Amino acid sequence: MLEVKGLVAGYGGGEVLHGIDLAVDEGEGVVVLGPNGHGKTTLLRAITGLLPPRAGHVLLDGKEITRWRADAIAAAGLVHIPQGDLLFPEMTVTENLLMGAYHRPTWSERRARLGRVYELFPWLEERGGQLSRTLSGGERRMLALGRGLMSKARLLLIDEPSLGLAPLTTQQIYASIQKVKDGGMSLLIADENANHVAGLADRVYLLETGSLVREGPAGELLRDKALLESYLG
Amino acid sequence: MSTQLVQAVWGGILFGSVYGLMALGLTLVWGAVRLLNLAHGAIFVVGSYIAYFVVSRLNLPILVALPIGVLGAAAFAYLMHLIFIRPVIGKPGFDNSTLIATVGISIAVSAAAILIFNPEYKVIPPVIGGNFTVSNVQITKQGLLVIASSLALFGLVYLFLTYTRLGMAIRAVSQQQEAASLMSIPVVRTYGMVIAISGALAGLAGVLLSPFFFLNPNSGFNPMIQALIVTIFGGLGSVRGALVAGFVLGIFESFVEVYYGVAWAQPGVFLLIILMLILRPNGLFGIGEVRRL
Amino acid sequence: MSAQVAATAGATRPPLDVAAAPWRRVSPYTVGGTALLALVLPLLLVRLNIGTYLITLLILFFVQAVVAQSWNLIMGYGGIYSFAQVALFAVGGWTSGVLVHSLGWNPFFAILFSPLVAVVAALGIGLPTLRLRGVYVVLLTLAFHELARVFTVTGPRFISGGGYGLVTVQTFQFGDAIGDQRTIYLYYVAALMFAIATFVIWRVIHSPLGVAMTALRDSETYAVSRGINQFRVRIVVFAISAFFTGLAGGYSTHYNGGISTTIFDFPRIIDLLAMIVIGGWGTFGGPILGAGIVIGLDQYLVALGDYQTLILGLALAGIAVFAPQGLWPLIRRLYENYLAPEPLKPAVEVSPAAPHDTTEEL
Repeated sequence: MLEVKGLVAGYGGGEVLHGIDLAVDEGEGVVVLGPNGHGKTTLLRAITGLLPPRAGHVLLDGKEITRWRADAIAAAGLVHIPQGDLLFPEMTVTENLLMGAYHRPTWSERRARLGRVYELFPWLEERGGQLSRTLSGGERRMLALGRGLMSKARLLLIDEPSLGLAPLTTQQIYASIQKVKDGGMSLLIADENANHVAGLADRVYLLETGSLVREGPAGELLRDKALLESYLG
Repeated sequence: MSTQLVQAVWGGILFGSVYGLMALGLTLVWGAVRLLNLAHGAIFVVGSYIAYFVVSRLNLPILVALPIGVLGAAAFAYLMHLIFIRPVIGKPGFDNSTLIATVGISIAVSAAAILIFNPEYKVIPPVIGGNFTVSNVQITKQGLLVIASSLALFGLVYLFLTYTRLGMAIRAVSQQQEAASLMSIPVVRTYGMVIAISGALAGLAGVLLSPFFFLNPNSGFNPMIQALIVTIFGGLGSVRGALVAGFVLGIFESFVEVYYGVAWAQPGVFLLIILMLILRPNGLFGIGEVRRL
Repeated sequence: MSAQVAATAGATRPPLDVAAAPWRRVSPYTVGGTALLALVLPLLLVRLNIGTYLITLLILFFVQAVVAQSWNLIMGYGGIYSFAQVALFAVGGWTSGVLVHSLGWNPFFAILFSPLVAVVAALGIGLPTLRLRGVYVVLLTLAFHELARVFTVTGPRFISGGGYGLVTVQTFQFGDAIGDQRTIYLYYVAALMFAIATFVIWRVIHSPLGVAMTALRDSETYAVSRGINQFRVRIVVFAISAFFTGLAGGYSTHYNGGISTTIFDFPRIIDLLAMIVIGGWGTFGGPILGAGIVIGLDQYLVALGDYQTLILGLALAGIAVFAPQGLWPLIRRLYENYLAPEPLKPAVEVSPAAPHDTTEEL
């Protein structure tokens, strides 16, 4: 479904990604593993148009979307749940969720979707009227996830789902992501912890200093402790 | 009630509502686009002159001219966005470039108004004529209309921002632009929309207010300055602030004017705003950087 | 700041790098040559038919360039969006005008008070606003401009002169020099004022204060976290700018023999803004170049009347958006390519309005 070919991206004078080749199939859970600062966030930003790539191609169902604007890419179904959540701080939980469904044209459609997300995170319904800036870290992450699910996403790109969370919350988050995946959603997750994503991943890429150094089925790669040790430390 | 008191209250509410209307447009654009639109007064003038043209040259009634003026002002604001604002959105020099550009546009508009019409004062008829007297103070029906439409517009804008998809998108863009674009909200088009809405508000203020004083190529400047002060006073980017501060400043100015003379009105407002900035630097309803719209 | 001062005043100063001390690059010959040219120029010009006219244009240029440079110092370099420039000019003009007109002082003595009162006024505006974000400065300085205008129109008679300003103020007198001779003297006074202002502003830009100011403009958070006192830097720069603006105002009053309330008209602000923007916002030579261009063009375009204002307004908007660096970088590049003794590696001056990529600094 998603195909990335020879993607080069960076900031200013520095090149962060040196030619990335990557693919995600329909319904597949793909994880990009790599230590901090090796380009995971840059990769997701370059795919979803927040950072215009310098070279290479991003294809969605074989269609070139490389230089599209971020909002057009999101409308096409590649929905990026960014690092740091980036909620709308002065809007309520419900309003944040509704913004996720901006691309759905009618209120009835948006409300139906809201019901689906509430099923997944019943907690969001209770807190519907609360301003999102008053939420705790774990609550924010769930809201960010829920907001992403409100869209017509075909592929969710999630940047470090566990960043800055307590262990218990981290478990909950990955459990929710698992549920989303079981519902048939394709996933591209950037993470630095192999244990967290073990259940979600069908296929794994290892990212080191801006290049993908290994690729393989999750079962194989994630079991190779020595390999993971040497890359992730 | 004494004549003076009625005079002060009436003038204060009337001008307060107009300042509020102008400030509403400024504050929307500031909140969403982070653009300090110094061409706001020019847009006011554009709306007024279009209405004047429709009334005096095409001989159509003011009720026809009003919507044409408002739409014309909105179109002008949108055009300004397309040519001068959009190219620098997201670039580092945005503040400088747009500040100078809007100043340049405002001077160009007043020159164009002189060239197309002439520098002489113009009269726009009121939408509804007639007046009545309360304690020897003339209350014009047009004045009541201005107050009513200003309040109604504040209500409409509030409802629009709170409950509609587009209004919510405007708030989303103003609070977290990057996330908004990830939610498939077209950020730049939303900016254009806000600028057009703000232009429509300025145009409406122009057409409704012009019967009170004569229209000339620079008549937007003073209301804009007052609106800027109201915007600071209420808190930049705050809709509620614009409403409350519009009336507070309007009534304050009007009382100073009635009891101490016209010469003291502006210095009084000036001192008040300096005091305000010292005591509450973010205005009545502004809460620092984060809270907008 | 005090730590910086102590450090620079230290007994053993390491030799300065050229990049940190750009004044080292200007040869005494250039300075001497320019000064000599400025001295001799009026004596030559006066022999021409239109010589006197050209000299008065130069005087106008000196005055306007001082105001434009002071404005550029705070706007372009300091990132303080003040629109009180014309008002401060007027404060200077009225100060010395009133002292001469009402108290009968000698203009040469009275003009010394113009910059001082302008500085006091600037502190009055600056103290409440300069702690706040830039947009407040815009609003409050615009309001100050309007307030000053209203005050000079409706204020007490010794200021308003009945609504028109001070129409008959004694001009500068140089013994009993008259005609061309007097114009030449006026030229020298203006040239001296221009030279002092230019030198001081140039020196400020390249001083620790100037570096602090530019740092604040480019990355406020970073600069503040490095220990720069933002408020103090801004207020000092604002005062310096007001000083020269007020001085130019005082000169202008005694040159024209009065100061009218029409100087508050909006086109005056636009003219000054155009000088900075056309010449090059946030560059040292930009406003000087711009003052020359705008004054020169004015002589040709004046016949166009309001079309001139229309064109100027649109040009201003267009340049600000599409060529925010103005003309100065172009001139500089020409100089560096063909005239400079040794090529400079990077262009030192980056306009804040320039579309340089912030991510460069990452």
